[in-house]
Amino acid sequence: MALLDQDVKYLKFKTYLPCYCPHCKKTFNVEKRDVKYLNFTGVYEGADVDVKISPYLNVFEQESSIPLKEGDLFEDLKCPSCNKSLVNPDIVCGDCGSPVGEVILSAYSRLIPFFSCLKVGCEWHGLTRADERHIKIKIPRQEMPEQDQKLRIQTYQEVPYGYTTELASLEAGRCLQCKNPKCVEGCPVNVDIPGFIKCIREDDFDGAAKVVKEKNVLPAICGRVCPQENQCEEKCILGIKTKPVAIGNLERFVADWERKMDLVKIPIIKTKLNKRIAVVGSGPSGLTVAADMLQYGYSVTMYEAFHEAGGVLVYGIPEFRLPKSIVNFEINYLRELGLRFEMNHVIGKILTIDELLEHFDAVFIGVGAGLPKFMNIPGEALGNVFSANEYLTRMNLMKAYLFPEYDTPKPRGTKVAVIGGGNVAMDCARTAIRTGASDVTIVYRRSRQELPARHEEVRHAEEEGIKFRLLTNPVQYLGTDGNMVKGIECIKMKLGEPDASGRRSPVPIEGSNIVLPVDLVVVAIGNGSNPIIFQTTPNLNRNKWGNIEVNQQTNETSIPYVYAGGDIVTGSATVIEAMGAGRIAANAMHKKLSAKTKKTTNSN
Amino acid sequence: MKEFVNTNDILDFAIGNEQDAVDFYLTLASEASSEGMRKAFEEIAGEEIKHKARLVEIKERGIFNMPVEKVADLKIGDYLVSDPVHAGMSYQQALIVAMKREKAAFKLYSALAEKAPNADLKSIFMALAVEESKHKLRFELEYDEHVLSEN
Ligand SMILES: Cc1cc2nc3c(=O)[nH]c(=O)nc-3n(C[C@H](O)[C@H](O)[C@H](O)COP(=O)(O)OP(=O)(O)OC[C@H]3O[C@@H](n4cnc5c(N)ncnc54)[C@H](O)[C@@H]3O)c2cc1C
Ligand code: SF4
Repeated sequence: MALLDQDVKYLKFKTYLPCYCPHCKKTFNVEKRDVKYLNFTGVYEGADVDVKISPYLNVFEQESSIPLKEGDLFEDLKCPSCNKSLVNPDIVCGDCGSPVGEVILSAYSRLIPFFSCLKVGCEWHGLTRADERHIKIKIPRQEMPEQDQKLRIQTYQEVPYGYTTELASLEAGRCLQCKNPKCVEGCPVNVDIPGFIKCIREDDFDGAAKVVKEKNVLPAICGRVCPQENQCEEKCILGIKTKPVAIGNLERFVADWERKMDLVKIPIIKTKLNKRIAVVGSGPSGLTVAADMLQYGYSVTMYEAFHEAGGVLVYGIPEFRLPKSIVNFEINYLRELGLRFEMNHVIGKILTIDELLEHFDAVFIGVGAGLPKFMNIPGEALGNVFSANEYLTRMNLMKAYLFPEYDTPKPRGTKVAVIGGGNVAMDCARTAIRTGASDVTIVYRRSRQELPARHEEVRHAEEEGIKFRLLTNPVQYLGTDGNMVKGIECIKMKLGEPDASGRRSPVPIEGSNIVLPVDLVVVAIGNGSNPIIFQTTPNLNRNKWGNIEVNQQTNETSIPYVYAGGDIVTGSATVIEAMGAGRIAANAMHKKLSAKTKKTTNSN
Repeated sequence: MKEFVNTNDILDFAIGNEQDAVDFYLTLASEASSEGMRKAFEEIAGEEIKHKARLVEIKERGIFNMPVEKVADLKIGDYLVSDPVHAGMSYQQALIVAMKREKAAFKLYSALAEKAPNADLKSIFMALAVEESKHKLRFELEYDEHVLSEN
């Protein structure tokens, strides 16, 4: 709805404005003795707030039931009579980009739409100016171009292509540059999101990458695999009325741009400390600890059980979601920073934690949750029943996807079932379809709403032709005479009564058993901790699930100078949480080791 | 199947069962592979001790009014294979054993209720069966949440 100058040109300074709700047509004007105001319901930090605004044109008096400062942004503005939102989702304030509320003003027997910015203190606050300069048509969220749905299942190439500079600039233009940015609170490592988006708006992509890297050492990876929809993007103010800013896509764009333009510089580390750190496990938690400790000036050695570094980033998450070249680039960066790698070293077997402590000043354990869980149902030992770990590791680390260049036997099936509904299950199913399986089915015991995988992954899986059997649970695997799996007996489930927390657990429907013919099964129901390290380090405290217990503030374990973080502490979680844990440990390690140095120097 | 003539007989039997459960979880605790698991089993044994104390109190006071409520049965344990109890078993395996144990107790009390010679005894057995199914539900919910995590 455009605003026309002629509608308002007769309105004079301090004209009294009778205002109406566009939905219920009730008035906002309140007149009590000499006091006159417009009465709205604002939403601030999720709570309803009474807002009183002067009913006179160009008079900026505003009062609310809680103290607000300049720059604060109402999340919504509602009519106190019908409680409907006044925010017009199609336009934003032309001065500051914030959402705007729309009311109907009656003047000279005309009904005129008026817009008001939701940001406290914005020049355009309080129904003052109504010319077109002050509103702008909203830009819709920019999606990344993707590979064709039919063609992509014949390759392992990454599915989204990433933003072009034009798309990135358009998307960055949507950000409201909030003074009190909620997105940052949603980021586990508190990246300065409006800061880096501002750089993109100013075409300073290099600067944007620097801002991101202050807090996140692996942005090209996080931009691809972080569940932004549950983190920064879930909190984004724009998301209240429309789609949030595509923060993840922008993060990916700046990291890719920096890499492609060859702008990644290896910093010169000025201080060299005469102290050594051992990092066990080369997943995101270990890589973060290594990066931080190298920058402080420590010498760092990383021990990894496999022959390739990167943890789940290389042997779990498939190529079409996270190209290995990107992970390798980050690892090479750390190598150039001075990180020493000791591959094929299973700590707990080749060397124990105690032995490491003899040679190193501190140790970080980031060995992840690598022990696959099985359901403990009959038939799990049949041939061609794989754990997700084994299946993905064979396909990724052994490069079965590059057959015949790499001659690893590839687990093959034409009718494949994947048990589970998380990211891991989607990755297995999407890998299976790329190996040429004609029929791939996800079997999940809850309903669609509860699927724990990222929405994007579920969408990609569906587009690629993967079928979903929801509310279905395997009860046993059936085998051929040769002990190869040939079918899964499943039982249908229904969601039971809600428990005290309101959660509805699935319960089997007696007698609803069905048999799915399959020749390959991948079980993706979760991972637990691997006990190898603990067998030789019994004094490392663990909880009942086998996860290491740490001091939450420092991530130090029950053994002094031994720290831990990532999936081995939390159970299966996310890349960014593992990185956050690594950073806490690195800071605490540095603090403790610096204090120790001071003590020894003082006593000398 | 054991014959019961009065409430005290039944309660003695149920108290004995709870004591068996306490012993069972303490054995698991003593064979646990980590401090965390030992604590977890001791906690469960502690809960069983409370169940036992409650039955003892009922017997001493002679008042029996345990409500017969409806308790959800997720039937998770029904389809799982349990390994024989062994030292150093994982918490997942231990939970399966525990679910199956509680389900067996539930079935026993339900069968006794079925065969009970009078309505009073029947309702006591039914209430005891409900108690056992509550214990099972606790394990099932833990299993549902932590083992079947589907990341
Ligand atoms: C298939 C799959 C898909 C996923 N998708 C996503 C996603 O989209 N988004 C997301 O945020 N998270 C995802 N995750 C989860 C995420 O990858 C993990 O939370 C994260 O990698 C955990 O990091 P970490 O540092 O704890 O350990 P890991 O990445 O697990 O790395 C641990 C490393 O330690 C090594 N190691 C183990 N034991 C020893 C030993 N004894 N000695 C020496 N080295 C050892 C391992 O070989 C491994 O390299 C996914 C996980 C999987 C399996
Ligand atoms: S990304 Fe969203 S929450 Fe963050 S500053 Fe921009 S608009 Fe505000």
